[in-house]
Amino acid sequence: MPQTMPDALLPLVVGLPFAAAIVAGFLSTHARGAAALLAGAVAVVDVVLIWVAYPTVAGGGVLLFELEWMPALGLNFVLRMDGFAWLFAGLVAAIGALIVLYARYYMSPEDPVPRFFSFLLAFMGSMTGMVLSGNLIQLAFFWELTSLFSFLLIGYWYHTAQARDGARMALTVTAAGGLCLFAGVLVLGHIVGSYELDRVLASGEHIRAHPLYLTALILILLGALTKSAQFPFHFWLPHAMAAPTPVSAYLHSATLVKAGVFLMARFWPALAGTEAWFWIVGTAGVTTLLIGAYVAIFQHDLKGLLAYSTISHLGLITLLLGLNSEVGLVAAVFHAMNHATFKASLFMAAGIIDHETGTRDIRRLSGLHRFMPFTARLAMVAAAAMAGVPLLNGFLSKEMFFAEALRAPTSHLLIHDLIPVGAVLASAFSVTYSLRFIHGAFFGPDPVDLPRVPREPPSWMRFPVEILVLACIIVGILPAATVGPFLDTAIRSILGEATPQYSLEVWHGLSQPLLMSVVALIGGVALYLALQRHLLKGVEGAPLIRRLDARRIFDRTMVFLSWRLARTLEGVLGTRRLQPQLRLMLCVAALAGLCAVYVRGLGPGNLFPAPPDPALALVWAVGIACAIGAAWKAKFHRLAALILLGVAGLVTCVTFVWFSAPDLALTQLLVEVVTTVLLLLGLRWLPKRFEVGRPPEPRVYTLARHLTDLAIAVIAGVGMAALAFAVMTRTPPELLAQHFLARAYTEGGGTNVVNVILVDFRGFDTLGEITVLGVVALTVFALLRRFRPAADSIELPEQQRDQLAYDAAHPRQTDGETVSDWLLVPSLITRVLFPVIWVIALFLLLRGHDLPGGGFVAGLTAAVALILQYLIGGTRWIEDRLTVQPLRWMGIGLLIATTTGLAAWLFGRPFLTSYFDYLELPLFGTVPLASALFFDIGVFALVIGAATLMLIALAHQSVRGHRVAQASEEGQPTPPPRQAPALAGED
Amino acid sequence: MIEVIEVADIPLWAAILTSLLLLIGSGLTLIGAVGLLRLGSFYERVHAPTLGTTLGIGSVLIASMLFFSVLQTRPVLHELLIAAFMVVTTPITLTLLARAALYRDRREGNEEVPARRG
Repeated sequence: MPQTMPDALLPLVVGLPFAAAIVAGFLSTHARGAAALLAGAVAVVDVVLIWVAYPTVAGGGVLLFELEWMPALGLNFVLRMDGFAWLFAGLVAAIGALIVLYARYYMSPEDPVPRFFSFLLAFMGSMTGMVLSGNLIQLAFFWELTSLFSFLLIGYWYHTAQARDGARMALTVTAAGGLCLFAGVLVLGHIVGSYELDRVLASGEHIRAHPLYLTALILILLGALTKSAQFPFHFWLPHAMAAPTPVSAYLHSATLVKAGVFLMARFWPALAGTEAWFWIVGTAGVTTLLIGAYVAIFQHDLKGLLAYSTISHLGLITLLLGLNSEVGLVAAVFHAMNHATFKASLFMAAGIIDHETGTRDIRRLSGLHRFMPFTARLAMVAAAAMAGVPLLNGFLSKEMFFAEALRAPTSHLLIHDLIPVGAVLASAFSVTYSLRFIHGAFFGPDPVDLPRVPREPPSWMRFPVEILVLACIIVGILPAATVGPFLDTAIRSILGEATPQYSLEVWHGLSQPLLMSVVALIGGVALYLALQRHLLKGVEGAPLIRRLDARRIFDRTMVFLSWRLARTLEGVLGTRRLQPQLRLMLCVAALAGLCAVYVRGLGPGNLFPAPPDPALALVWAVGIACAIGAAWKAKFHRLAALILLGVAGLVTCVTFVWFSAPDLALTQLLVEVVTTVLLLLGLRWLPKRFEVGRPPEPRVYTLARHLTDLAIAVIAGVGMAALAFAVMTRTPPELLAQHFLARAYTEGGGTNVVNVILVDFRGFDTLGEITVLGVVALTVFALLRRFRPAADSIELPEQQRDQLAYDAAHPRQTDGETVSDWLLVPSLITRVLFPVIWVIALFLLLRGHDLPGGGFVAGLTAAVALILQYLIGGTRWIEDRLTVQPLRWMGIGLLIATTTGLAAWLFGRPFLTSYFDYLELPLFGTVPLASALFFDIGVFALVIGAATLMLIALAHQSVRGHRVAQASEEGQPTPPPRQAPALAGED
Repeated sequence: MIEVIEVADIPLWAAILTSLLLLIGSGLTLIGAVGLLRLGSFYERVHAPTLGTTLGIGSVLIASMLFFSVLQTRPVLHELLIAAFMVVTTPITLTLLARAALYRDRREGNEEVPARRG
């Protein structure tokens, strides 16, 4: 289909609210008017845009807008508007516009109102996106977005615990349902072979016959039933009433909870018509209908009453959908519309009462009729529509419901008889709670002791209620002439040829449904009169089922899942000791490697190793001896082990030099230096000895454990060596290295291939790696900031105590003089070396593109310069003189690297494309200049920042540790700490 | 254009001189290493490796300068930097070691080291 004018409107309809949400988010906190104006304008524009599309959908057409998303997977972003989607989109936008107007007057100027409108708009956008989705996955995505934004809206007043809990509960339930829905649509897509809604709806027969039908059905229904607050997932809705009333009016009348109903109606052609559908949907519907209506009667909070009534009405709609009859679908869609109008107006009326009196408690309210006569009349009409009084819209859909209940297509006689009885009962309950709402709030003696003196609200605040109530009346009197065509369009787009005959008449003659209505009305009034005494007592909760508190069950489950289970698992599977963790990791790694070898085999390579050079073999013998010695000494002589480890590292470095890999050798050398120093600093904080508080075990166990560990170590080590050997003795058919060697200069502009690979060919990898390095440094920093060393390593080292004691004993000495005097010569020379090492770092950085060097090595060199100063001068001395801001270095480094990559876009090239040229400098002559150098500078800065951040985290540990030790030793409060050493971002 | 000659074509005098210097350098370093092993006290042992780090490495560096200068028929003087750094940095390590040892000996009250002033 060619994209006509209305087709192109669809992305606008969905995108506009999101765009406006972002704009509203940037408005100043008190821009109440501007935000409301923006939101209102967007909602009105949306209504107009949707209205423009009406002629197309009324003629049976479908508006389509497609955008390629992942064409390789056959996934497109599809917006699709048929009659049904049109109806719901119109409802969302129109009621949204009214809600915005209402909220403008409802929200207090003290609240950050732009945030409210921003969330509201985003919610409107996600809801519209959901109903217009033409692709299953996209639908699930927008579905989860509605959950997310409803969470934000419900939790808008996040300073109250009620709002936080309600929001969290709503999110947990609806988002979990959303995940089920996602799984469900994946199964559905698998059955159909496509995620396009059109194709899914067209293959109903195939889906229902498929063995996976039940799986898909249950998963999708879990999504729909949680969202529409159907029993047993209904409990989140009443708690969501902690939201501002406009949110409740919007979410729980026209939008969020209707999403589940929408989904069930949407998938009707694909999923409905089976026994399973009838039992699941029908049972959930009828249970919710009755329980919701019953509990609603006993609510004392106006909004709570409306919440349970909403649950009950949603149950009614669900039951209608579950009846597997086409007319039932008509009634369901019709009732969904009617419910949206009267429930929104009732919520708004409740909000007006709350706003003007300061309370929503029916027990405290009474006689408001005399203070706000106009609002009272509006609420009465809306409540009458909810109760199903004739000549109002609620009556029409309720009568259709009764007619359908009588015709329920089931073989079970009992059920056949029970459904009409249940329908009448629930209907009577709804009359009762409607009466309670009106009578409790508006009639009776004058209210006493209200927080505010009630009066009529501003007329613009009442305006949306007036519109909606007017709609209730007009639809109720002239249904066929008003909503008839729209309803017809919607139903036709779902059912197509199968659209049944139905009549939207007020008067059907003296029929059975009318009789049922009359019985329900009379029964409801009688029940209300009978319950007067009980209600006046003001007891909380509904009788009989008070103990059935779904919320408690939910809370217990959450506590179990998020706390008890986690604790238990941690207790059973976790360990705080390093050895078991390492053992586990090694075992898993060895096992993974062995599995791979077992599956694919480890045949001999196609290269033959050269005979070993005796000199290198000697060096390696030293290295191996040192490595084994390090393992040997690791437990009780950590310092010795560290030194031996350093030698092993140096041997690796020599090996790289031997095989002409100066880049690797340089890097290895510096990494070795920095890690050794950092480990050395960390040694100070390791506990002296791990004391096990149980009697020494028999020698056999110890020996067995040692042998096991040895076996694991040998297997892992030998396996690693074997793997390395296997890789190095074979040449892949097409050597990537050849490609790099050939193109390093022509395309990367550098003769140092290693560096060109790092900053150009594999620049994106490097960007990722430096990001990871930054994350690691931040993590180390964060961990060390809260690190409390073991008790036995907290006090000052012996030597330092001695020095301080000596300084204290000799009046000529000042604090710390001994140590500074003791290290006079080394510290002097080291300070002189500081600039020299920096020059070397810069030298390595600049020549990196053509000769061994580069940003990483240069960064490490510079970090070594800083580390030396810290070591020799002490943390305080150095930080009094030099401001090191590692976070800034890291941030700037990452920015430079990314900007260099982004700059390629300016020239229309892909991300991280490098450019090189030669520059004529007056003194140096021709200098090669590649944009990769800037990338390398970014790497350089980040490496400096990351290395020094870890160092400083360790160094500050010792400063802080000493303070603690001093304080505890002297038994007096800590002396006022010196100005915390400058470290950008700390605290 | 600088002429580069092959290793095999190096003049005999240069080859002999280079070898001699290398032998002297490595010999001195070896003696230093043996000294480190054999000498009695820590303070004596500290001196032994300095043979290697001063004269020993110096000879090797001169050999290197000579060899590569002849090979590339131009003065190659990078080694001077290495020498400079060796000269500057070796004392730091040795001073640190010696002073740490002295400090410990004094704390432990060993008789053979001079006592603290003041």
